Amino acid sequence: MYKFVVLFICMCSVISAEQINQLVINKNVERTIDLTSQLVKITATITLENTGKDTVRNYLIVLEPDTVGNLSYISVKDSLKEDLKLTPSKVEKHEKDVYSVQLKQPLATGRTAGIILEAVFTKGLVPYPNSITQKEKQLVRYFGNHYFYTPYATSKQTTSVTLSSRSVESYTKLKPVSQSDSTLTYGPYSDIPAFSQDRMIVHYENNSPFLTVTRLERLIEISHWGNIAVEENIEILHTGAKLKGPFSRYDYQRDTGSSHHSIKSYRTILPAAAYNIYYRDSNGNISTSQVRTRKDWIELELRPRFPLFGGWRSSYTLGYSVPSYQYLYRKSSTEYVLNMRLLDHVFDDMHVEELETKVVLPVGVTEVQIKTPYEVQRLPDGVTFKYLDQFGRSVIKLRKTNLVEQHIQDLEIVYHWRSGLLLLEPVLLALALYVLFIIVIIYVRLDFSIHKPEHAKKE
Amino acid sequence: MVEAVTMMRYVSPVNPAVFPSLTLVLLGIGVFFTAWFFVYEVTSTKQTRDLKKELLVSLVASIFSGFGILFLLLSVGIYV
Repeated sequence: MYKFVVLFICMCSVISAEQINQLVINKNVERTIDLTSQLVKITATITLENTGKDTVRNYLIVLEPDTVGNLSYISVKDSLKEDLKLTPSKVEKHEKDVYSVQLKQPLATGRTAGIILEAVFTKGLVPYPNSITQKEKQLVRYFGNHYFYTPYATSKQTTSVTLSSRSVESYTKLKPVSQSDSTLTYGPYSDIPAFSQDRMIVHYENNSPFLTVTRLERLIEISHWGNIAVEENIEILHTGAKLKGPFSRYDYQRDTGSSHHSIKSYRTILPAAAYNIYYRDSNGNISTSQVRTRKDWIELELRPRFPLFGGWRSSYTLGYSVPSYQYLYRKSSTEYVLNMRLLDHVFDDMHVEELETKVVLPVGVTEVQIKTPYEVQRLPDGVTFKYLDQFGRSVIKLRKTNLVEQHIQDLEIVYHWRSGLLLLEPVLLALALYVLFIIVIIYVRLDFSIHKPEHAKKE
Repeated sequence: MVEAVTMMRYVSPVNPAVFPSLTLVLLGIGVFFTAWFFVYEVTSTKQTRDLKKELLVSLVASIFSGFGILFLLLSVGIYV
């Protein structure tokens, strides 16, 4: 009977929600909310203490239920800056946005440990007013929480909010609070119970580019003749405050101040080995771009055909080639490994709403294996035809929504391919030409004349 | 992740730097044999024509031209 009860309890704990260990407390939480760009970046340094009798292996992170904006990226590091494993979990009353962190070393009674939580939210800054004229400055509001939202009791916490400018319209004043230059400091607050919430609103000036990539199609094409071609079809939208009234090119040219909320140009970083770079849209080449070679990368200054104001959109194609030895590896005589970025840099502090990465593999690949750095949706494979293709090449399609800079990570594709297939194209070309020659040989042997041949006449 | 130690970086079997000169040489030979073939076709008569020679010259011409066209494509940036 006793055994049965134990088993039952074990079963329950597996199926139902994870229990919050009330004996774990946050001894100190230092939170930084970075609002200098269009993203909300929250970094929290947490010192946790185990006041119970049992060792603790897991730490729970619960996100606020009514956060404005979407969570795009979350990671937890230990005090040595090594990544800790995060698994989605459940606790009572919180069905989603709960993560369980597996601590590297189980926390014994009375011991403390430090972890660093990093989270990036998109669409967390709301323009207010939501439409402005060309000359006005862009003001945005941030809705947050004065307290660090956590399922554990917190002894002491401070929050500093970094803003992009010192002009702050208003901010909620939960004492003690201070403003110095462009930083707001809340706290220290002490002895906060678990799941505390108190709305923080910061209304401030933010003229950093509110540029969203609404759709990014990244096409990677492998050629075993030593080249990898990359092409990105990008649709961008200015998601800041909408433009009210007319747009005056004259005022725009005259006003050279840097505090524009409109977007004149932005920088894209390409790999250092990139060459044959092109930048065009449906009208043709866009000549207002500049390539600067830096030591470890290539910097591309892209200027859209028109400055972008709130609610305006644009689209373009950016492409380049990189030599294959940068990203393609040979494991054995028939096995190859492609190690390439799933998403690449478009501009600083970017926000990509939808990404579709397509990888065009060489003709005749088999046994394709994919390893992604994070969870992505794999769309059904396609077939595409390129130059001198008769069988078609298989295309791997991957899709993910809501990405930020932290998602620039490597994708790994392993495939089998016989190097003899490299000769397919030249042999095909030679065969086609040979068929032409044979047609000529047959043609000269045909006689289309309507009169009899001369030698027949002589007879 | 696979250890990078066991993997070799993949390089093209032909150095991309020699693509243009390879194109010139191969296409040059190809054009020469093509020209020979067509000159032979128009100058020979029914009696002097030799099928074996025609097939051989055209085979050489098509192989060299085929590879030449491939390297031409590669050197202009169409990586097939």
